Amino acid sequence: MFKLNHTEFIGLLVAMGTMLILARLSSELARRLRIPIVAGEIFIGIVLGPSILGEFSSSTFNFLFPLKSNVGIALDGITQLSAVLLLFIAGMEVQMQLVLRQGKAAVYTSFLGMVIPFFIGWYFAFYFPNFFGMQFKDDEKFLFSLFMGTAMSISALPVIAKILMDTNLFRTKLGMVIIASAMLNDLVGWLIFSLIISLMGTGKSWSVILLDISIIIGYGVFMLTVGKKLIDKSLPWIQKKLSWPGGVLSLSLGVCFFSAALTERLGIHAVLGAFIAGIAIGDSVKLNEKAREIIHQFISNVFAPLFFVSIGLKINFVENFNLNITLIILVIAYSGKLIGASLGAKLGGFSNKESLAVGFGLNARGAMEIILGTLALEAGLINEVIFVALVIMALVTSITSGSALKWLANPREKIV
Amino acid sequence: MDVFKLKKRSSYPFETIAVAFAFSPRLENLLYEAKHYADTFKSNLILIHAGEKDLKKEETFDTLFNQIGFNKVKTKVIWMNGDPTETILDLCKLNIVDLLILGALEKENLYKYYVGSIARNISRRAKCSVLLLTSPSVAPKKIKKVVLNGTDNAKTVHTINTSIYFAKAEKIKELTIVQEIDMPTFTMTIAEGSTNSEVNKIKKDMLAEESQKLHHLIDKCYCPDILINIKSVNGKPGYAISNYAKTKNYDLLVINSPDSQLGFFDRIFTHDTEYILADLPCNLLIVHSRV
Repeated sequence: MFKLNHTEFIGLLVAMGTMLILARLSSELARRLRIPIVAGEIFIGIVLGPSILGEFSSSTFNFLFPLKSNVGIALDGITQLSAVLLLFIAGMEVQMQLVLRQGKAAVYTSFLGMVIPFFIGWYFAFYFPNFFGMQFKDDEKFLFSLFMGTAMSISALPVIAKILMDTNLFRTKLGMVIIASAMLNDLVGWLIFSLIISLMGTGKSWSVILLDISIIIGYGVFMLTVGKKLIDKSLPWIQKKLSWPGGVLSLSLGVCFFSAALTERLGIHAVLGAFIAGIAIGDSVKLNEKAREIIHQFISNVFAPLFFVSIGLKINFVENFNLNITLIILVIAYSGKLIGASLGAKLGGFSNKESLAVGFGLNARGAMEIILGTLALEAGLINEVIFVALVIMALVTSITSGSALKWLANPREKIV
Repeated sequence: MDVFKLKKRSSYPFETIAVAFAFSPRLENLLYEAKHYADTFKSNLILIHAGEKDLKKEETFDTLFNQIGFNKVKTKVIWMNGDPTETILDLCKLNIVDLLILGALEKENLYKYYVGSIARNISRRAKCSVLLLTSPSVAPKKIKKVVLNGTDNAKTVHTINTSIYFAKAEKIKELTIVQEIDMPTFTMTIAEGSTNSEVNKIKKDMLAEESQKLHHLIDKCYCPDILINIKSVNGKPGYAISNYAKTKNYDLLVINSPDSQLGFFDRIFTHDTEYILADLPCNLLIVHSRV
């Protein structure tokens, strides 16, 4: 059996301790500066990683993070697990009934807020791959362009919800439409990403591709209907008869891991299974709010910092920064989302100013974009340069969304 | 049909009450309830049977009709063939019915829930208020505890006023208005980084804001001699109040009619009224304000 030796085990503990403590300090600073805490976590990863610490004191970097030894493998396992758990809690907040309750405004906003950025992202990546400094074979180009479309269309629910709360817009019609649309965007975005992952590898026939699509849709439908009903039936028993909160915590995470393992086995991606399990569990009215809070706190404050700090440890942000590519991605991201989501909101009955506010609200990509980019980088869909540009885009869009919303939407003008 | 009489017609008084009946074991109980409500609200009564009429059914019905002692001047009986849901809905519109009374099981089996029972399908589509009785009885049980939904919606004023009208007729002295506090993504947002005092402040501000909205609605209602209690419950709309009504043993839950027509998809991703219809906590009055 593979085992870390004494020194490696100490190395792993030191690395995780350093990541968690410094990520906390950095995210507290970010919180005080009123920027998303993921920015603080990414920043500390960049400081601790090859971009800064590795450049100025490689011995300290190698001592703290001996990534080339077995510690690197162990840390990689932890970050993969973190991605699965992050998607699980993201799924837990997707409430399909909220989308239905917001009606056509949410449907139009979400639909156009996805389709237009997806098309713009796909179009530029497919017809002008040189803009991104990429050279491909035809099938690779198609998958890359599909990914860029997805990356442009996804939104980040956690950041958006926080921005809406800070701007006092959360409980307005405008806020609820933004939240509902972001939920739908996330759901569709992760489904498309899973499809892209399943399509990777050469020589897949159309029948295999159709089978992959059917599996993804079938699994989602099964979990959100039959799976959800089973969860609804069993949760009250679990919460009443088993130890609290241990019972619900371990069984929820167990379902998440099984679902993730199943989708990974089906050739999709583990994160989709975790995301769908999260929706099925989180959408249940029987889930105790305290249990939901414990799961969120545990994952957001332990696994999320490990995941986001590890990004900076693996990638040299200075070496891989390309101003042109970053600017191109920023322009595509802003234009696609602002045009699409604003148009959707306008069709949904909002005024011009409110529609633009909806566009800016949904433009925040935050943690979801970074997770998506990380998984794409690991899968070989994109290179480090595009990944760095996507991370910067995710942070810039998240930081600017709050200010734009404050400027465009007056929270005192409650629309409800 | 004079549709203009229906539009903007006030949800109360209940000038015309209709009762849809089937020849089930609960027929007698339902007819006794029909008489009770017609007498209580001094209403005209229409007894509707959507289905085949035969001699045996007619005899059974006539016996019960005479035994219960309906007011023959104010009571009309309609037998009509056709799809029960469509027929009952059409007859309610045609006769300008203000309140339709139906017997309903507390819970349907999974198949019936998704396909939709007659009572629940009518509740989803009716253009008049609907009273679903979960345990109709030959000796109608007096309704003592009434809870209603204080959701932030233009219809709520009409629902509160209709509840007050109902309470007065039934000589009920107090009503409980429940505010459902739902904060989707709140848990995730506070986990993103908020101090305890920040979380408490957000919750406090939100409760104050919701309370202010409800008081604003109540101020628009005329409610002398009735004590109004206000309660806040956390949870998803529909489920939270249903659970509250069940655990506190209320006799009647009053809610607004759905804002849009509910369909199959709304049962898959259950929300609002569908949570209540899925498992009736007690008798249910759905107020159609026709606004």
